Amino acid sequence: MRSLLSLFTALLLTTSVSAADLTVYTYDSFISEWGPGPKLEAAFERQCDCDITFIGVEDGVSILNRLRIEGDSNKADLILGIDDGLMEETRTTGLIQPHGLKLDRLKPELAWSDDSFVPFDYGYFAFIYDSRQISKPVDSLQALIDSDATVIYQDPRTSTPGQGLMMWVKAVYGDQAADAWQRLAGHTVTVTKGWWEAYSMFLQGSADYVLSYSSSPAYHVVAEGKSHYKAAPFSEGHVAQIELAAITRTSGNPELARRFLEFLTSAEAQRLIPVSNWMLPVIDGVELPPVFGELIQPKRIGFSPAEVADRRSQWLREWRNAAAQ
Amino acid sequence: MQRAGIAALLFSVLVTVLAFQGLIGFGHGGADWSLLSDRYYQSVLLFSLKQASLSALLSLLLAWPLARALYYRPQLPARRGFLSLCVLAFVMPTLVLITGLVALLGRNGLLSPLLGEQWNLYGLNGILIAHVYLNLPFAVRVMLQQLQHIPDSSWQLAAQLKLSRWQRLRLIEWPTLKPAVLVLFGFVFVLCFNSFAVVLALGGGPRATTLEVAIYQALKYDFNIPEALTLAWSQLLIAGSLFLLLSRWGRSHWLSVDTLQRQWIPQPNQPMKLIHAMVYAAGWLLLLLPIVALLPGVLEVDMARFGWSALLRPTLVSLVVGLLAAGGAMLLAYLMLTPVRQAHLKRQRKRALLLEWLSTHALVAPAMVVSVGLYILLLRQIDLDRWGMLFVVLLNMLMVVPFAVQQLRPRLLQYDAQYHRLCRALKLSGRQRLRLEWPFLRPAFIASFALILVLAIGDLAIFAIFGNEQWTTLPWLIYSYAGSYRIAEASLASLLLLLLCALIVWAFERIRLDA
Repeated sequence: MRSLLSLFTALLLTTSVSAADLTVYTYDSFISEWGPGPKLEAAFERQCDCDITFIGVEDGVSILNRLRIEGDSNKADLILGIDDGLMEETRTTGLIQPHGLKLDRLKPELAWSDDSFVPFDYGYFAFIYDSRQISKPVDSLQALIDSDATVIYQDPRTSTPGQGLMMWVKAVYGDQAADAWQRLAGHTVTVTKGWWEAYSMFLQGSADYVLSYSSSPAYHVVAEGKSHYKAAPFSEGHVAQIELAAITRTSGNPELARRFLEFLTSAEAQRLIPVSNWMLPVIDGVELPPVFGELIQPKRIGFSPAEVADRRSQWLREWRNAAAQ
Repeated sequence: MQRAGIAALLFSVLVTVLAFQGLIGFGHGGADWSLLSDRYYQSVLLFSLKQASLSALLSLLLAWPLARALYYRPQLPARRGFLSLCVLAFVMPTLVLITGLVALLGRNGLLSPLLGEQWNLYGLNGILIAHVYLNLPFAVRVMLQQLQHIPDSSWQLAAQLKLSRWQRLRLIEWPTLKPAVLVLFGFVFVLCFNSFAVVLALGGGPRATTLEVAIYQALKYDFNIPEALTLAWSQLLIAGSLFLLLSRWGRSHWLSVDTLQRQWIPQPNQPMKLIHAMVYAAGWLLLLLPIVALLPGVLEVDMARFGWSALLRPTLVSLVVGLLAAGGAMLLAYLMLTPVRQAHLKRQRKRALLLEWLSTHALVAPAMVVSVGLYILLLRQIDLDRWGMLFVVLLNMLMVVPFAVQQLRPRLLQYDAQYHRLCRALKLSGRQRLRLEWPFLRPAFIASFALILVLAIGDLAIFAIFGNEQWTTLPWLIYSYAGSYRIAEASLASLLLLLLCALIVWAFERIRLDA
C-alpha cells in the first residue's frame, strides 16, 4: 500500500504539462491510445523539433466550456475538436484568433472559407443497418420516417449525433418537423444519452437502423473484417459534422500553432486521422484502405453554423414536445 | 475529538457550499425560478418522482422474500457468495447493465420469447428492471441484517404462545423491519432519482426524462447556469427533505455485519422451505444473468491480440484512488459521528438529526452540480491538469462518506448505549476507549470499507470532469473503448472490473470473519 502510494505521488509530481511549446485542448478519445493524438504528436514533433502537449477534456462541448470558464487565463495555443455546430458559440467567446491560412487544399464539398476555424475531419450522419437482415434499405429520410422499421438514435439534449438528426429532420421537413418527429416516435426503440449506448444496442440486434456516421462501416471492415454493416444513402442528402481546430487569441506561440494547423490538413496527418478517428479526410487524394472509397458519398444539406447557434434551443423544444407524445 | 468531528462536518459542507458558490459566482446571479412554472420541467419532475418511487417500492417488495429466505435458511448453499454478489450491484457499470439487459430481454433477447408478443423492454419496464437490478441486492442485505437483529427470546416466546405464521410476521418481523425499510426506501429513491444514462437508454424516448438529464443539458450543452441552479436546488430540496423525513421516522442498521452466532430461528415447514429455495435460486439467476449475457460478446475479442498490459495501469490507478478515497471517507465518517453520538447521549434529538443529515448530505446534493461547481471554481485557481487527480480522490471520498456514516452510526450508537456509562465511570482515557471500541466496531468497519472501496473504484462521473488521460481509471477505460466502436473490449474490461470488485469484497469478508 505504501509503495503504491509513493509510486502514485512520484508520478503525480513528474507529470507536468505547462512546459510544452504547444498546448492543445482536445477531447479525451482523440488522444486515447488508439485515437489519432499520439500518432499526430509523434509526426509533428519530428518535423518541428518542438514539444506538443494534448490536454483532454471529456468531449467537444467541454472544450468550449473550459474556454468559457478560463477566459484569458487558458493554457491552450490551439483547440481541436469543436464541431461546426458549436463554432459560432466558440467564436463569441472572443478567445479565437484568425488562422491566416489558405484553405484551398480542402475538398470543395466542404465549401469552407472561415477565417478562424480549420476543418481536420468530417463525417455525414447516416443510418447504419445490417445488410444480412435488411436487403432493401430505405432510400430517404422520408421513407425511413414513414416506414415501420425500428430505429435507435441519440438524445439531441446530450449528444452531437442527436443534434445532427435534429438538423437533418429540420432541413428535410421544415415546418412539418414536429409531425415527422411524432411519426418517427411511433417506431423508435429508444433514444440514448450518447453514441455508444445506441450503437451497441444496434449491434446486439435491438433495431433495424441506428444513427451514426457514414464512415462507421469502415471501422467494421478495417478493424474487424466485417462488411455487412452499411450506411443507407438518403436521397434528400445528409447533414455533415465537421470537426474543427483553431488558434486561441492568447496563444504564446501563434506561429507554431499555425504550422500545426497546416500540418493537420497535410496528406501525412490526413492519412492518420480517418483510420483512428473513423471520420473522413478533409482533402482529396489521401491514401486510405479501399473501403473508404466504397463509402456512400451523399449530397450535403443542412444549416450554416450561425443558423444552428441561433435556433438550436427552439428546435430542441420542438423535438422534445413532439417526440414525447 | 468532538472538535475534529465538527471540523470534518464543516469541511464536507464547505465543499458543497463552495461548489454552489462557484456556479453562482460564474453565472452572475442566482437561480432562474421562472423555470418551475414551465410545463416541461413539471413533467420532468413528475416523471423523476414517479420512476424513483416505483423503482424503490419494487426493489423493496422483491427484496423482502429474498431476505426472508436468506434469514430462515442460513444453510442455503453459497449464501455468503450471494451476499458478496449483492455488493457488486453497486459498481455495476452502465455498460454491463444495458448490454446485459438488452441481451436478455431486448428484441433478440434470450428470454424475450418467453415473455410473449407484447413484450417491450423499452419504457417504464426497462427503467424499473434496471433499477431493481441495481437496488434489490442492496435492499436484501439491509433487510437481512435487520431480521438478524430479532432476539432469540422473541422467537422462543412466539413458539410458547403458538403464534401463527401471520402473527409472527405482524408482531415480530414487521416491527423489526419497519424502521429500516423507511430509510431504505429513501436511500433507493434518491439513488434512482439521480439516475440518468440508464433511464434514457431504456426509457424508450424523451418521455423518460429525469431531472438529472435536464441538469446535464443545462450545465453542459447550454452552459445555462441559472437554469442548472434552479434544477439543482429543486432536486436538493425534494431529495433532501424526503430523506430528512424518512430518517426521522426510522433508523436503519444499514448493511452492517451479519452476526455469526447460532441463532434460534423457527424452522419453516417443508413447502415453505421449497419456496425459500426457489426464491433464492431466482435471486441468483437475477443477479448473474445480465453478467453471463456479456460473455458471448466478450468472446469476440481476439484474446491474443488484446492489449492486456493496457489494463494494468488503469487497474492500479483505480485501486489507489479507491483506497485513498475509502480510507479518507472512513476517517471522516468516524469523526463526523462523534458530535452525533454526543447529541444522542445528551438526548438532543433535533441536533442529532441535523448533524446526521449534514453528514449524509452528499447523497442528496446533485453530484454533477457539485463537481462542475468545484471545477469552475478551481480551474481558475489551480493547475487542474496537474492536480486534478487529487480532486478525483477528494470528491470520491466525500461522495462515499454518507454510505460509511450510515453503516457505522448504528454500531457506534449501540456501543454508546451499552458502554458509555461504564467508560465514564472508569474514567478511561481517549486511547483506552478507542481500544475498547475497536473490537466492537471492527466488523462493521471492514464491511463498510469494502463497500465504499468498490463504490469509489467504480466512479466515472467525477473522473470525467477532473481526471486526465495519464491517470485513466478502469471505468474510464471501459467507456473509452465503448466510445470508439470497441464494444467487445469494453465488455471484457467491464467483466474484469467486476471481477476485481468481487475479489475485494471477498477478501474483506475473509478478513472480517477471521477475527
